[in-house]
Amino acid sequence: MEKKEPWARVSVVGVLGVLLLSHAAYSTIQYRSLLKITDEQFSGPPINVVMELIAGLVLCMWAALTVPGKFLSILPHSDENRVVALPTNLDFMIFNHRGKAFPLSIDAK
Amino acid sequence: MASHDESSVSRKKSSDSVDEISTFNAENMQINAKIISYSRTFMSIIGGVIAGILGFTGLTGFIFYFLVMAIMSVGLAAKAGFSAHPYFDSWNQILLDGFLGGLLSFVLFWTFAYDMVHIF
Repeated sequence: MEKKEPWARVSVVGVLGVLLLSHAAYSTIQYRSLLKITDEQFSGPPINVVMELIAGLVLCMWAALTVPGKFLSILPHSDENRVVALPTNLDFMIFNHRGKAFPLSIDAK
Repeated sequence: MASHDESSVSRKKSSDSVDEISTFNAENMQINAKIISYSRTFMSIIGGVIAGILGFTGLTGFIFYFLVMAIMSVGLAAKAGFSAHPYFDSWNQILLDGFLGGLLSFVLFWTFAYDMVHIF
């Protein structure tokens, strides 16, 4: 499975949520034209439209939380952050940096 | 084209106890911050569309925006497993970062949806 950038991935849940929202918008437009015929004021969409909007909100929230990807650990000593390879540009590596302020810990894993 | 090496870039933080210098994997910090930003921006847009469909005008809409952002904060905290430590520097990054950033997108889509549904 190719790894895509977070903004390029689309999920079924997200598309479904947006579809529900569009259908709710269309239903509300129809409801308003109905109100224009009977000459009443718009106080709120009908209850089934509100239910649809809530369902769309929940689905889109689920998509917003899961599609961009998982959080990655920022601790330097965790197991998935092990540096297992040297950089390929060995000629450009600099050693005169602030790393010499670190306490020495001879601890080979 | 220079090859993008895979080693993580460490960044030092100020010491907070004796002989204790904590560093963080800056690349992953950026990735986590990006994830939060994408999630909040997307939900600002969706919240704006919903506020427009429901016909909110004035203060009610802004209250709805803060409600959606608060729910997103809870959702993001749940995504991190309710422990900020392995993924973020502080809780503020999860709960408050980008809270107001989506406000302009929200207002844009709010007015757009309101016009589409209620005026035209």
